Amino acid sequence: MSPRHHPSDDILTGYAAGALEPGFGLVVGAHLDVCAHCRSRVGAFEAASGDALSDLAEADVSANALTNVMSRLGDQAPRTSTDTRPFIERLSLKKKRWVAPGVWVAGVDTPHAPENRVYLLSVAAGGLTARHEHAGAEFCTVLKGAYRDELGLFAAGDFAAADGDLNHQPVVEGDEACVCLFATEGRLRPQGLLGRLAFAYANV
Amino acid sequence: MHDRVDSDEALIARTARGDREAFAQLFGVYAGKVKGYLVRLGAPPAAAEDLMQDAMVSIWRRAASFDATKAKASTWIFVIARNAWIDKLRRERTELAYRQTVLVSEESEDEAPDEAAMRGQTEDQVAAALATLSEEQRQVVQLSFFEDRPHSEIAAHLSLPLGTVKSRLRLALIKLRAHWEQLK
Repeated sequence: MSPRHHPSDDILTGYAAGALEPGFGLVVGAHLDVCAHCRSRVGAFEAASGDALSDLAEADVSANALTNVMSRLGDQAPRTSTDTRPFIERLSLKKKRWVAPGVWVAGVDTPHAPENRVYLLSVAAGGLTARHEHAGAEFCTVLKGAYRDELGLFAAGDFAAADGDLNHQPVVEGDEACVCLFATEGRLRPQGLLGRLAFAYANV
Repeated sequence: MHDRVDSDEALIARTARGDREAFAQLFGVYAGKVKGYLVRLGAPPAAAEDLMQDAMVSIWRRAASFDATKAKASTWIFVIARNAWIDKLRRERTELAYRQTVLVSEESEDEAPDEAAMRGQTEDQVAAALATLSEEQRQVVQLSFFEDRPHSEIAAHLSLPLGTVKSRLRLALIKLRAHWEQLK
């Protein structure tokens, strides 16, 4: 089933331009992994960026840049292999911490500014997450299962962006645990004990 | 007779066949633009120069994968440059953490006394951290972080292969990181 909630064009252009923080780019990448529609949007934005590159004023390059580069052409290319595992298995996770019955959090080992957090949150079927407000932007892609909040139903592949104004309480839908990948700018301001515990304990 | 008659797409196709002259022409068209783009993304000039050179080498290596029916030359080159930038952010987390610590000691105007104390502490910490490095490591860290020289220039300056400079820097950063971890 193809996703029904997509990143805005603003977000996709930022992604195409390489202008998103890496953690936020990762969450968009999780959505693109399963969304042909947004992949083709990103392709169009990349083409526009390529045109813009052609028109861009040139920066001065160092005098020996060409010589340097030419001398490296014979070097052996580093071996690269395409990782074909599903997105969720390609993530490098820190230790999984159970923070409440049925709820675990694991930080994602990805570079991001110290004030940003990137993590997986898994909540068992029927579970309630902490009602929380956002101190800054938050991106989320559902990797498994589904949840519902004030904005509707979000199933695997769906993308949600929240800003500082959203105060919501997602509820897991269906009989499978819901696993989401989050990038959060600033600390969440959880309301209630579960939230405070979860986020403090997992250091997310 | 080297009038520029080939399209960029044709230049990439010739590059894929190992034609260095075609590659040099591509370099002439794109190197400055790619560097300009990297600077716009926020790369400091020295890092932009290094990344631009890395991206140009990637263009040479990946030329065979270019498919003119799927993308224009400018799009393909843009994506390589962008990915070089993202890879840099991904790889150099330790470096960023380290730079942020150093930055504290660079803000000196109108500081309050307690800020001055903190500054001294940070400088002491930097000195203590640097003391854990070997002479060779300290030298590349000095040139790269304190003098902001491109890796390519450090390699030329020390008569070392670029790969050696990079791996030396990496090891130094791992060591520094371990030192910072202890302080937390």
